[in-house]
Amino acid sequence: MISKQMWKYIFRKLIFLIITYIIATTIVFLLPRIIPGNPLSQMLASLSQVAQANPEAIRAAEKNLMEEFGFGKPWYVQYFEFVSNALRGNLGTSVAYYPRKVLDLIIPVLPWTLLLLLPATIVAWFLGNSLGAWAGFRRNTWIDKGVLTTSLIVSQIPYYWLGMILIYFFGVRLGILPVGGAYTQGNFPSFSWNFFVDVLKHYILPFSSIVISAMGGWAIGMRLMVIYELGNDYVRFSEALGMKDKRIYKYVFRNSMLPQITGLALSLGGALGGALITEIVFNYPGTGFLLFKALTTLDYPLIQGVFVILIASIYLANFIVDFIYALIDPRIRLGQEE
Amino acid sequence: MKKFLSIFLVLLFVMISFAQISLPRNETVYVAGALWGPATTWNLYAPQSTWGTQQFLYVPPYIYDLGTDAWLPILAESYKFVDSKTLQLKIRDEAKWSDGRPIDALDFVYTFNLTKRLGVGPGTAWETYIEDVRAVSGKVVEFKLREDNVNYFQFINYALTTIPVPEHVYKKIEESGMNIKDWINDKPEEQVVSGPYKLYYSDPNIVVYERIDDWWGKEIFGLPEPKYIAHVIYKDNNSVNIALEQGAIDWIGVFIPSVWELWEKKKLPVGTWYKKEPYFLPDGVGFVYINNTKEPLNNPAVKKAIAFAIPYNEMLKKAYFGYGKQAHPSMVIDLFEPYKEYIDYDLARKVWGSEDGRVPTDLKTAEKILDEAGFKKGPDGIRVSPDGQKLGPYTISVPYGWTDWMMMCEMIAKNLREIGIEVRTEFPDFSVWADKMTKGTFDLIISWSVGPSFDHPYNIYRFVGDYRLTSPVGVSNWAGDWERYKNEEVMELLDSAVTTLDPEVRKQAYFKIQKIFYEDMPSIPAFYTAHWYEFMTKYWVNWPTEDNPYWFRPSPWHTSTLPTLFGISPADNPKPVPTWFNTTDKGGYFVPTQKIFEDLQNTLK
Repeated sequence: MISKQMWKYIFRKLIFLIITYIIATTIVFLLPRIIPGNPLSQMLASLSQVAQANPEAIRAAEKNLMEEFGFGKPWYVQYFEFVSNALRGNLGTSVAYYPRKVLDLIIPVLPWTLLLLLPATIVAWFLGNSLGAWAGFRRNTWIDKGVLTTSLIVSQIPYYWLGMILIYFFGVRLGILPVGGAYTQGNFPSFSWNFFVDVLKHYILPFSSIVISAMGGWAIGMRLMVIYELGNDYVRFSEALGMKDKRIYKYVFRNSMLPQITGLALSLGGALGGALITEIVFNYPGTGFLLFKALTTLDYPLIQGVFVILIASIYLANFIVDFIYALIDPRIRLGQEE
Repeated sequence: MKKFLSIFLVLLFVMISFAQISLPRNETVYVAGALWGPATTWNLYAPQSTWGTQQFLYVPPYIYDLGTDAWLPILAESYKFVDSKTLQLKIRDEAKWSDGRPIDALDFVYTFNLTKRLGVGPGTAWETYIEDVRAVSGKVVEFKLREDNVNYFQFINYALTTIPVPEHVYKKIEESGMNIKDWINDKPEEQVVSGPYKLYYSDPNIVVYERIDDWWGKEIFGLPEPKYIAHVIYKDNNSVNIALEQGAIDWIGVFIPSVWELWEKKKLPVGTWYKKEPYFLPDGVGFVYINNTKEPLNNPAVKKAIAFAIPYNEMLKKAYFGYGKQAHPSMVIDLFEPYKEYIDYDLARKVWGSEDGRVPTDLKTAEKILDEAGFKKGPDGIRVSPDGQKLGPYTISVPYGWTDWMMMCEMIAKNLREIGIEVRTEFPDFSVWADKMTKGTFDLIISWSVGPSFDHPYNIYRFVGDYRLTSPVGVSNWAGDWERYKNEEVMELLDSAVTTLDPEVRKQAYFKIQKIFYEDMPSIPAFYTAHWYEFMTKYWVNWPTEDNPYWFRPSPWHTSTLPTLFGISPADNPKPVPTWFNTTDKGGYFVPTQKIFEDLQNTLK
């Protein structure tokens, strides 16, 4: 049964999310515009480099595009147009890939990012926490020391660097795994066994690079939590009662988990950033790759669009985690004051 | 858990029952270097359609060939000048859209009118030079020259190269109330095209075109050998290089550092146009643009001294891997035989004192010029103009990441400091740099200009020297004259070159422009940029090269590259290059530009 207290909690979280979302998208709108330069320049440059292009044609194209995108208008007018269009589900038209709609460009790549990001984050969280808890219980043994040292090292490795090492070792030196892409060149996505295996092969390296570098941080945190919990009165009391280790472990694990769930929600943003960079390193056709292209061409509408969607999905995930937290934490579930 | 397992098993079974779809390697040409992001549109009414739309899907009446300075008739069968102001094109009787409808004069008329209405599309801005386009009969379309703005080059160019679209398809889009510019045309089964290929598949990774086996031009040109053309969308040059070394791509158009190592050291079956330096054909003229609105930088003596101070050969060797040659100061690309006659070599030799009239790198002469013009060196080694203005500090800039050009900037700046001009390098982000270039707020930049074409060197003189193309400092303009050079006489000479039909008058106009340019030095033509083009012979052979020079614009990204696909053949079944790759007098299809102008001139007799 969901208590009144819990409804209040969820409602508060929701309001908070909406406010931060508005602030975040405003920043996303303003930031690219602070960068000096003209978003049309890349396209006009390639037009001007085509040997047979006539000066008249280039001039006409420049005029046409300026009107089309309304970049001549003051920024606050552009901002209100952006917000009102976005509310109607229209994220505008890409500059570099004109006349493609921003949404049409993002939708085909979004699944690849989610496919990479979500399983990798959850697996890293799960593995990291289990390892950390294990190390915490076996405090000061070689297991603890081993887990701690490797975690400390691994957690400091940036995603992209680990990615490059993996590419070099498994892709170039050993040649057993592909160096990039989501599937073999010349294959087309289809519901077939071969394609599934092909995708899986291309998935291993980017997936591992995210899991390995994210895992360390979780393990370190969990180990500390477990050690802290082990020093609590309830553990001593249970020990004094002669309770089995396994049962104590269960209690301790449950209590240590709570902050780690909040941590998961907080880390999603960072994990996304990491996944985006990983995609670029692995030539993986996700939103990170698209964002990279958008940033290098200063494609305002596309940059905005990618962030609006990504931030929204991160916030949604955050909200779900908060909801789960509320269900798990009896203080909220049972309606006690925090 | 059991439930999930059974769902998984069912899914697995479904997956196995579908066969894997993939392209046959030996029938596919894999391409890189022409497409760096998601596909845009397969509709020509856009500022930039997806690579391949223009030429593989939709073909023009004629394609210009650089090697023989001639025109290959594709959609057109012939042309006829009714009088000196009227040109008629006869469309081939065989020419059909891929849905079987004939390509007729009304398609041309519709295309031109739609472009005029939308302000963008095939032949954008044609109305500047053409008065009227009309259908004379089903297969004959007529173009009328605009008499208040006579420009024979542009008139011929628009008439011969504007690509028609199918009226019956576009009419339907218009009737549906959709904005033509928003139409993506991405459904292969609905595409109606005039070229030998149509879209087969596309996603954010790849764009694939498939040959139309009953293409209307089969009897005339034969079919291009590759069944599929697949352009993989790579992140950057590096990933292209890796793919090339793994043998994954056949047809490439990117900058590769030390390209010769691919076959000398790594023993890969890779080649470029030339086996030795410069490896690549020239694509255009790279300039050191000097801002003509900034004093005392715009003093002709200073500009001339800069020309003498640029270390042309050294920088091409060190920064450009020897991929280009020093440009001729006349701005004419003298590597192609037909253009050589437009250079006044006597004058160039006299002015620059070298054998072929190129500017020698000579710091002593540079210093002497500055000394004579009254620029004296101050105590800090920086020269000061006679009226007390310091020569600097100035910047020379190119976009960050363009490593070859960045190195050139460093080398030029070093030499300029040596002769007493204070110049620092600056490497901003591309769009920042482009903004400075097009708004005329730069000091010195290295940038591109225009390439060889049938109206060369008119096109380059106009691009660099026609003030009417530019706009005041601070207002962005991409059309030309980035350095804001203004000279009424040059503009008059440019106009006389395009309004005359007498080749001698035209040539003399070019000679006079050269004389003015050597005195004014609007900017400095520094080197020929390379036409990036590499190929792999593992699956496909007969690529155009210096030994087999049947097509001179072989790079995949070039808009006149289509004939390359008719020349290559599979490695396991090599075929000779079709005999139509030749001028009409040698039994081929190519009509020399000279012949077109003679026909035009004959109407006056």
